Amino acid sequence: MSHPRTVAEALRDASVTDRGITVREHDGRAVELPYRALYDTALTIGGALAAHGLHEGDRVALVLQEVNEFVRAFFGIACAGLVPVPLCPPAQAGDVATFARQSQHILQAAQAAAIITSSDVAPLLALDGLSTPPRVLTVNDLLAGPALSAPAATSLDAIGLLQFTSGSTAAPKGVMLSYRNIDANVTAISGPHGLNTTPEDSAVSWLPLYHDMGLIGMLLCPVYVKSNAVLLSPTLFLKRPSAWLDAISKHRATVSFAPNFAYDLCLRRVKPSQIASLDLSSWRIAGCGAEPIRPDTLLAFAEHFAPAGFKASAFLPSYGLAEHVLAVTLGRDGLVVDRVDSERLVRESQAVPADDDTPSVRIVGCGRPFPGHELKIVDDNLKEVPERHVGSIIVRGPSVMRGYFQEATASRRALRDGWLHTGDVGYLADGQLYVCGRTKDMIIRQGRKYHPPDLESAITDARAIAVSGVVVIGINHVEQPDEIVAVIEARASGRTAELEDDVRRRIRETSGLELDRVIVAPPGTIPRTTSGKVRRAETRLRLQAGTLLSAPAEERSRQPILAGTD
Amino acid sequence: MEAPDSETVAPSDTRFERETIHILKRLSRRPITPLSDSELMADLGFDSLQILELVGELEDHFNIAVPLNDLTHIRTVGQIAAAVQRLTESSGAPS
Repeated sequence: MSHPRTVAEALRDASVTDRGITVREHDGRAVELPYRALYDTALTIGGALAAHGLHEGDRVALVLQEVNEFVRAFFGIACAGLVPVPLCPPAQAGDVATFARQSQHILQAAQAAAIITSSDVAPLLALDGLSTPPRVLTVNDLLAGPALSAPAATSLDAIGLLQFTSGSTAAPKGVMLSYRNIDANVTAISGPHGLNTTPEDSAVSWLPLYHDMGLIGMLLCPVYVKSNAVLLSPTLFLKRPSAWLDAISKHRATVSFAPNFAYDLCLRRVKPSQIASLDLSSWRIAGCGAEPIRPDTLLAFAEHFAPAGFKASAFLPSYGLAEHVLAVTLGRDGLVVDRVDSERLVRESQAVPADDDTPSVRIVGCGRPFPGHELKIVDDNLKEVPERHVGSIIVRGPSVMRGYFQEATASRRALRDGWLHTGDVGYLADGQLYVCGRTKDMIIRQGRKYHPPDLESAITDARAIAVSGVVVIGINHVEQPDEIVAVIEARASGRTAELEDDVRRRIRETSGLELDRVIVAPPGTIPRTTSGKVRRAETRLRLQAGTLLSAPAEERSRQPILAGTD
Repeated sequence: MEAPDSETVAPSDTRFERETIHILKRLSRRPITPLSDSELMADLGFDSLQILELVGELEDHFNIAVPLNDLTHIRTVGQIAAAVQRLTESSGAPS
């Protein structure tokens, strides 16, 4: 086993190979970044950052739409011993006002000393409200050096990445990851109990680099392993989903990860005539994570792309969170679907395999924890529960974050006695993890526990119900009974009443739950994170405050363009 | 690749708007009558993913590249048509 390395050391080691990164920008432009040249550029950018008076440990924000600029700047920051803070750029944030608000919050929370951005984005940043405005630099500014002769010497325990979580329920918090954390998770993901990748593997990704799955999984993993990677702009993929599969086909890629919605998008938007020109037979790991995994989507994808050589055995469901660098478990057994009795799940928190004629929910297995890492399912008293009992997921080991940046209370809540409380609930069966949902979103009615993702999938999986977004929330009232509300986004069609009936019936039939209220609203109503996850807490607050539906159209359309990734 | 449009198109000022409306109708999952000031999300029911799909189609049809920052300003049919016209004219692509 090799010694842990910093990000800059991993790039230095990769730079002696003839491999590297190929970028495809949003307009289709290809940019080659061989590791050898990338390392030289990173030393130059690192030297320029040092010459600007930045010191080890200073936070440097990255707000870059061009993939090649992000990659070069990220490694430049790493070579200078500074701490990168990736931010969502404006095109993905949805609109300029949302971008300005979100970036201002993160720049303030991170106390960034500098921002690396582009000249077109710089004017969109709202820096006036910041207590100490950061220095604004462009990649071009930094290419003049002077170059470092070697990466700055940093401790493995120094912070190597400050990753702001998308905050589906609260304001974004900065997850502090040490180089040791990053190395531990990257090594586990790539190792024999993970994807078992070698330098001969090659990755293709369109995932945004300001989120953990893209940054850690599809950029750092290839660099640490010294394998090739092809990184597409997320916008290119969303404009033309076939670009993702084309790249896999053309580069004979072996590894690619994406959230569930990307597989669905390919099903709907890649035409049969395009499938004929694809060869997906090299794709050995089709990872899926970051949002609830729907077996129907994956099975339909496998069938649709079987003529191009895609193998359903390539699917690898995964579970993870930024507080654990990226991955907690990887489902190396492929797509394993557990069909459990929904009655006993909600009433007794037990995942009992269902008979054929019992109402059931399907939950996808996400694999086992890595060597050197521990995972437990515990009850409210932190006592470990037996297999097939639903409880809180807690994890311990070298991938667990150092804490939230300058958030002592939140850090103490998340990290207790070395255990990271993930905030997710699930159960173990045959040692494999099955994830049910987030603890704080759980809906309790008459002692029965419901997980919103199960209820939401029941609605979206129903072919007869055409919706573009759905969120189910429980609202606690003081003097009235609690209320369970489904907010459905649907295009105006004049059949609202019919749609409401369909949704109520579907939930009744699949879970036995009676919805108190169904709200049909135009697309864009449900608040989402920059990565497209629904913000349940905000939906609840706005519904209670009466501002969910009354927001002006301009406000409503502040919906992230990049839906569904994290 | 434009098929002849047998339907009545909504009144529009320019060829760019006419052709944009034609593409919008093809991409929409329900019958729509886009006008110059129709908002893509609020009036025509497009979601953010469909807007990017639209951008991809417009790029292919007009042989242009839409800058990323333009995406943050697109609201109405008229704004799209104006952006497309500006990009077509500045790129010098055959019209």
